Amino acid sequence: MDNDQADMNTALMVDGNAVAGQLEQIFGRDMTMAIARCAGCARDAQMGALMAFIRGPGVVLRCPACQNAIARIVETPSATYLEARGATYLRIAAA
Amino acid sequence: MVQPVLEWQAGRVTAIRPETRQTKSFSFALPKWMAHRPGQHYDVRLTAPDGYQTERSYSIASPPERLGEIELTVERIPDGEVSPYLHDVLMPGDQLELRGPIGGYFVWEVSLGGPLLLVGGGSGVVPLMAMLRHRAAQHSTLPARILYSSRTAEDVIYRDELDGMAAADPTFEPFYTFTRQPPAGWTGYRRRIDATMLAEVMRPFDRRARVYVCGPTLLVEAVANALVQMELPIEQIRTERFGPTGA
Repeated sequence: MDNDQADMNTALMVDGNAVAGQLEQIFGRDMTMAIARCAGCARDAQMGALMAFIRGPGVVLRCPACQNAIARIVETPSATYLEARGATYLRIAAA
Repeated sequence: MVQPVLEWQAGRVTAIRPETRQTKSFSFALPKWMAHRPGQHYDVRLTAPDGYQTERSYSIASPPERLGEIELTVERIPDGEVSPYLHDVLMPGDQLELRGPIGGYFVWEVSLGGPLLLVGGGSGVVPLMAMLRHRAAQHSTLPARILYSSRTAEDVIYRDELDGMAAADPTFEPFYTFTRQPPAGWTGYRRRIDATMLAEVMRPFDRRARVYVCGPTLLVEAVANALVQMELPIEQIRTERFGPTGA
């Protein structure tokens, strides 16, 4: 638990919950409880619990088990790009 | 249940209250207020005259029982893009773009049950406070404890309110730890949160505790890892990391 030793990337990481607003804007509903199955390791994780890196020009969501990039989101003035080939599927429970 | 579409709205500042040297609480009246779930956040958007926009997420501090308004408690990050504006420029009566409430992951309400263990570092206490205020407003007697890490006594947000809640409610108890400068005569914890401290605070709850951890990422990592090693079922642990800042 020595914070000084920790990797800066870890310190900059937040939860998928932090981009809940952006996801809700894209999907039209809360996505933090939706399940993403990682295409890398086949583990399931709630999207709110993914590792999120939000300090770059876009957002990268990673698997908390294997760190595979599940999805990337980029917003430009004219469009939003969502690339999600790191997910085998998303499971969105009926509302 | 059909959810309304998430959209930006102009909140009007009704009150600004200093909490500590670095934090203030801002109350907003919202034209399209809706009840939130404790732990949820709002996004705040600022637009510069040249059109440049930037957004930040801030946890709601107030309970959903407070109707028509929300309160956000915000730490001033010296080199931040949004928090210095909120702290130094925003005045009661001003308007600010907000959207929310957001997030269904890091939420607790009385109906989810307990016992409840809240672990916070620095301004990570804010969403936990919404949970405690909700619990108090519902007169819940579900056992609850908070373990709250701050640098110094002056950095503790909501200290009087937490101690007041504990004095009025034998089923709630706060535990403080100070990582830099404990107050004079302090006999409690004076180190970063570790597995031993967590085990002591959690002992009466055993492995039944629902645990919510919010704070700087490295604190949350350390606490979550310790909880997993203590064999707390992972589905009882909810985390919210807010990056490199804070205590």
